[in-house]
Amino acid sequence: MGIMDKARIYSPWLYHLHCGGCNGCDIETLAALAPRFDVERFGIQLVPSPRHADILLTTGCVPKQFIPMVKRVYEQVPEPKVVVAVGSCACGGSLFYDDAPENYAILGHPDLLIPVDVYVPGCAPKPEAIINGVVQGILKLAEKRAKK
Amino acid sequence: MVDLIYTVVSLIVIVPLALFLGVIYSYLLRKLSARFQWRVGPMFRMYGDLKPLLGTTRLLQPLYDILKLYGKETVVPDVSRRRLFVYSPYLSLIFAVAAIFFIPFPGMPLLSGVPYSLIIASYLLIASILFTILGPVASGSPWAAIGARREVELFLVSELGFVLSVFAVAIARQSLVIWDISSGGQSVYFALLTVTAGALMLVAMLGKLHIKPFDMPEAEAEIVAGPYTEYSGKLLGTYYLTKVFLLYGLVALFISLFLPPIATDVLWLPLYIVAAVVLVFLLTAVQVLNPRYRIRNAINWYLKVAIPLGVLNFVIALAIWLVV
Amino acid sequence: MSTEIKILKQVLSKYSKPMTLTYPSAVAPERRYSQIPEGLRGIPERDKDKCIGCRACYFVCSGRATSIYDKDAKRTVEIFLFRCTFCAHCQEACPEEAIKMTNKFEIAVPNREDPAARVLTELDLLKCKNCGTPYATRKLADRTYERLMEKIDPIVKETVSSDYKKLDGYCPDCRRAYGVDLDTHTKKYVWLEGV
Repeated sequence: MGIMDKARIYSPWLYHLHCGGCNGCDIETLAALAPRFDVERFGIQLVPSPRHADILLTTGCVPKQFIPMVKRVYEQVPEPKVVVAVGSCACGGSLFYDDAPENYAILGHPDLLIPVDVYVPGCAPKPEAIINGVVQGILKLAEKRAKK
Repeated sequence: MVDLIYTVVSLIVIVPLALFLGVIYSYLLRKLSARFQWRVGPMFRMYGDLKPLLGTTRLLQPLYDILKLYGKETVVPDVSRRRLFVYSPYLSLIFAVAAIFFIPFPGMPLLSGVPYSLIIASYLLIASILFTILGPVASGSPWAAIGARREVELFLVSELGFVLSVFAVAIARQSLVIWDISSGGQSVYFALLTVTAGALMLVAMLGKLHIKPFDMPEAEAEIVAGPYTEYSGKLLGTYYLTKVFLLYGLVALFISLFLPPIATDVLWLPLYIVAAVVLVFLLTAVQVLNPRYRIRNAINWYLKVAIPLGVLNFVIALAIWLVV
Repeated sequence: MSTEIKILKQVLSKYSKPMTLTYPSAVAPERRYSQIPEGLRGIPERDKDKCIGCRACYFVCSGRATSIYDKDAKRTVEIFLFRCTFCAHCQEACPEEAIKMTNKFEIAVPNREDPAARVLTELDLLKCKNCGTPYATRKLADRTYERLMEKIDPIVKETVSSDYKKLDGYCPDCRRAYGVDLDTHTKKYVWLEGV
């Protein structure tokens, strides 16, 4: 394993994308980033711009008005990237998602728009479960390489 | 001839050395502020069962960040002025690296003996920061524009403090050559100047390095990532590299100007490291104890506190010049 | 300035002891997890021996996470965790107390088809003696009989009991079609109307 591959595992930066929903998962995500679980131990950092990110962490089901933003934020994250869906809403739409008849306001899980690599079900998942999911995301990140 | 060869060799050696020390300083900055907040921070010794996956130590965490950024895709926005956007980080890096050539390291005088080296080093440090403003302005992002504007305002006042403290020392020592200043003797008067001008220099360093009360250019809660919003991949990595070199350069400049003769002889190396760590500790303590200022408050604070302190420095320096 | 000194004192008072847990690592098991309260609603678990396939959980599930489908003489009761809100309504509704919420919460799966994302229970179905259509599980039939006997009016208890035994093994369609042949047709209860 070259030093670049190692660096990719050692410093995954996280961008937290809140798509919609009840904020429960966001609070748990922030708890996972706080001193109690301190993910900076492993070099994980919360970054403010999607252009700096390696891991896109999405929470909540996507309202129809938010579809273009989700796509755009995903495209702004430079390769190699990994998407981690946190919470039942982001995994499978949970309560808010209907196949038929279709919901007038809510599209459903972000999986319908962007490829998701790791799913963390839970309503809301405990911070440990989120860290577990992010660690699996890091393992997937190690497999991917930058597109030339 | 031997001197020339030694200078050339030390110029080649100082770049990786400065990178290493800068990485260690930024690691310390992160680790200490983590420990101030009752958390662990980047781990010095990784947990035994995670070692195969996550490495044995994270001492070089800032370097890993930079390396990772170099391995990533680089996105250049369509609306940016491409040439300025792409070249600014590299120019900034070149100026920062050039600046460290003029600052002595224990056992390596480098180019600090050339005439007016103090002015050259100050200019290069200023120019390096100038290009961290120019690049973001060319990116065409409103967040970057706001961040750059804040950075310009902060830069004007913090640079004033920097100049007032640095040139007070130059007046007291009656020299504009860093090597002469850093190899000069110590006395009670110079120690007094070290306290007042050193405090002002520390404050100017806070502004230059965007450390907590003065980190409004990068205020991530308000303006996304500030100047760096549109930067990604290699270009962002270059900016981070610049920051590492700037941290090393400013710490080295502080020690060579205010704590002579630590930065002259190789025998002083342990004391040099201790002084650098203490300095980084002071920066960290300020970072964790202060909330972010608004840009207006920061400017007011500089004008009310830092500039009178700078004038006081000049008075002391003139007194030393006339009396001693 | 005094405020800063106060903060510094507070910060340094516990300076030597970080409060961080060791989470993904197991080097210190007692400091691995944060508080896991009793009654934490984690992944639901279904006891295969207790489940009778009665659909009670399916009817109460608010997120439509539970689904039940019959295929090849097997009834599959499934909870899709991606849609589950861990509300424990199914645990409350289950007449056999087959569903229990566990304390487990560490689930992270790489794709939707992953077996870890589903709580599956497969039950064998009885086949109709007459037409061979699978219609219910053995336990569901037995439990229905038991509960019927508990609640029924004593006057008709004996008749219904004998009828039920005659009907056992036939699917609902065949029961309707061969009601007269088996002498289980409801017309014999007509005399009860006057009671």
